[in-house]
Amino acid sequence: MTSLKDNFNGIQEYADDQGLDLGWIDRQGEWGVKASADGAKGLTLNDTQIGSYGDPPDESDNMTGKPRGAAARPNAYRIGGYQVRTKSDIWLTNASMLYEEALQRQWSSATDIPWQAIKPLPDDIERAQCQLATFLTEVEFVAADIPGRWVASTTPDYFEPRMFLITQIMDESRHLDVFRKRALANGGGLMQRPDINVTTSGVVGSIDLSRDFTEMSSRLHISGEGAVLTIFRMGELMAYNDAEKRIYRLAAQDESRHVAFGVMHMRYLAETEPDRKEEIHEYLDEGERSLVSGSQNPAARDSAQSESLSILLGGGQKNFDEGYRKLLAIRKRQAKEYVQRIRSAGFGERFENGRANPELMEYVRS
Amino acid sequence: MADEDRQQRVAGQKTEVWERPRRRRTLNTDENVEVPEPSYAWMPRSLQWETRVKPGKAGLRIGDLNVGIYGEIPDHWDEPTRMPRGAYPLAGIPPLGFALKNKRDMWADNAADLYEEAIQRRWIAATDIPWDTIQPLPDDVEAAMCQLCTELSQAANVEFETIGYWLQHMSYGYHEVKLFLATNMFDAGRHHEAFRKRALSNGGGLGLESRGEINRMILESKGGWSETSLFLHLLRGTFLLTVYRHCERFANNPAEKVLFARAMQDKARHVAYGIQHLRYSVTHQQDKALIFQRLLFIGERVFTKELQDPAMLEPLAIVFGGGIEGARAGMGHVKRMMADWLTAYTSACEWIGIERAAPLSPDLAKYLED
Repeated sequence: MTSLKDNFNGIQEYADDQGLDLGWIDRQGEWGVKASADGAKGLTLNDTQIGSYGDPPDESDNMTGKPRGAAARPNAYRIGGYQVRTKSDIWLTNASMLYEEALQRQWSSATDIPWQAIKPLPDDIERAQCQLATFLTEVEFVAADIPGRWVASTTPDYFEPRMFLITQIMDESRHLDVFRKRALANGGGLMQRPDINVTTSGVVGSIDLSRDFTEMSSRLHISGEGAVLTIFRMGELMAYNDAEKRIYRLAAQDESRHVAFGVMHMRYLAETEPDRKEEIHEYLDEGERSLVSGSQNPAARDSAQSESLSILLGGGQKNFDEGYRKLLAIRKRQAKEYVQRIRSAGFGERFENGRANPELMEYVRS
Repeated sequence: MADEDRQQRVAGQKTEVWERPRRRRTLNTDENVEVPEPSYAWMPRSLQWETRVKPGKAGLRIGDLNVGIYGEIPDHWDEPTRMPRGAYPLAGIPPLGFALKNKRDMWADNAADLYEEAIQRRWIAATDIPWDTIQPLPDDVEAAMCQLCTELSQAANVEFETIGYWLQHMSYGYHEVKLFLATNMFDAGRHHEAFRKRALSNGGGLGLESRGEINRMILESKGGWSETSLFLHLLRGTFLLTVYRHCERFANNPAEKVLFARAMQDKARHVAYGIQHLRYSVTHQQDKALIFQRLLFIGERVFTKELQDPAMLEPLAIVFGGGIEGARAGMGHVKRMMADWLTAYTSACEWIGIERAAPLSPDLAKYLED
């Protein structure tokens, strides 16, 4: 096989004349790679998964930050300090696709929301909308801070999930931003910040304090974002103008990608590391408790958020009970969608063997 | 004084806790569910009501929201949770422990505008680069471009790893900065991706990994975000911006031209944040300029050492010269590029307020002498 340097032998003398070392020129990864764009989708990450470049190792010994497939230097500094170097700890089969989709579906809260469509609302409705927006302003960026940490501590050999998590950080920034804008755009303001929140405060079992990526993902992507996704999808019921409808619609689009990431990662883990399933069930036990009673779920009972949602869904304080009926329907839908996701992720046995949270299952059965 | 007023106001309010409604009643539904009697305790709880920010010609921008108390950006943010700036506080929320609590640790007046600009100027490597315009290049030029893209892709990787580490440590009182840095991470991710795609799209492949001197300096800068920004945005950022600009000029095809032009636009934002922040840091802390001066003395020497690696500047000389045969002329252009960088870099240092105690190292100064 002719190497690149062999091709240059004829001009090495000339290179010497130019004062070039060229010691690097024959130290490549796999050579002769030609990824081609695929029609309307352009040149996607999937298109570049050719030969050794598309082959992430099951265990990564990359501690230098070397791009996957590049040639290694024996004298490179071990500066990575990566905690996640086992593929099953973070991998999923479709991260590249979700990444490209995220790029295609970016939006601007400044210009893609028809803010001029917002008109003055009755005081109780405005307060409820602002209360919900305050809650979302606070909790949405959790899903930016924490993935940032995991991006920094995952080997570049698993760059596809890392790239997706970076898009999530961008999405969540926009969510913080758009809900803050909503709270301040219509004669209201920010309201009461959320109460102690098992998933987002500094308490054991929170998203912040998780020391394992899958533990974190099960809380962030499956329980937390899954619950919020259901609410965003019901946005039509609690929106009072086209601006709010569009906010919920676009946020739901983003959130569904994040949930898909979590489901697909758990599925990969279930298939490749069945020995870890029992451990994952423990996380799901905690997540379900939070889902039915924790205040990270805006539709959970007895929180400022559930009261504001009831007002929004009912059409005012005077229709609180009607709103509460609709909120119950949302909680049922949340529970059913959660069950569907967990089944899809390969952990459905908990719904057959009595392990799942009884209150959650009541919602599912009702 | 405004800061003290704000702190007193927040502390004064932070006595209330959320009490769950106790009374329950039965709602007449199919299941006869028990429902709480709503407390509505949250309904009057706003520190400032009747805020109505209107969209301008550029839409509703995050900076537009800084009205009344919502625009009071305190010098110190002592709230250890994620409470949004201007929200009504509650007592008893377990802390998270953010390490960076001072405005001077991260602030830049242009962060909010740069955030919105980053969103407006977003691009997609898959579809905004005309990949089909890439035609086969001579082996030496392709090898040089691939080595260059490997280095640039790895530099972008270090950039988002670095910001990913720091983002979680920044207090929520300064959300404009957190939002901007999220776009910085997003841009860096796209650069990592786009340069990788270029290396793998024209019969080449990835080259040799970086030696890692500069990467190490950036990643191991844990003394404070300002010190990290000094290396990331000022020292390396201005260098990368200059490299992108010159590579755009010598692009082999429209795909490379668009790629470097877009990357340049992004990098200009990152540098703009960095130098604005560093200036803010220097003007709000007595000895910061001296710290920066000393760190840059070390940083410039680390930079110089890495630049001596043939894999750094030789590929640029070959790309600029159109091949090994033109590398001598290409190296002449590399020297002009280095002079451009050093001019921009030293000007930025001066604008920030970092006086030079010692001249540039001889290995850097030689580029300015020619």
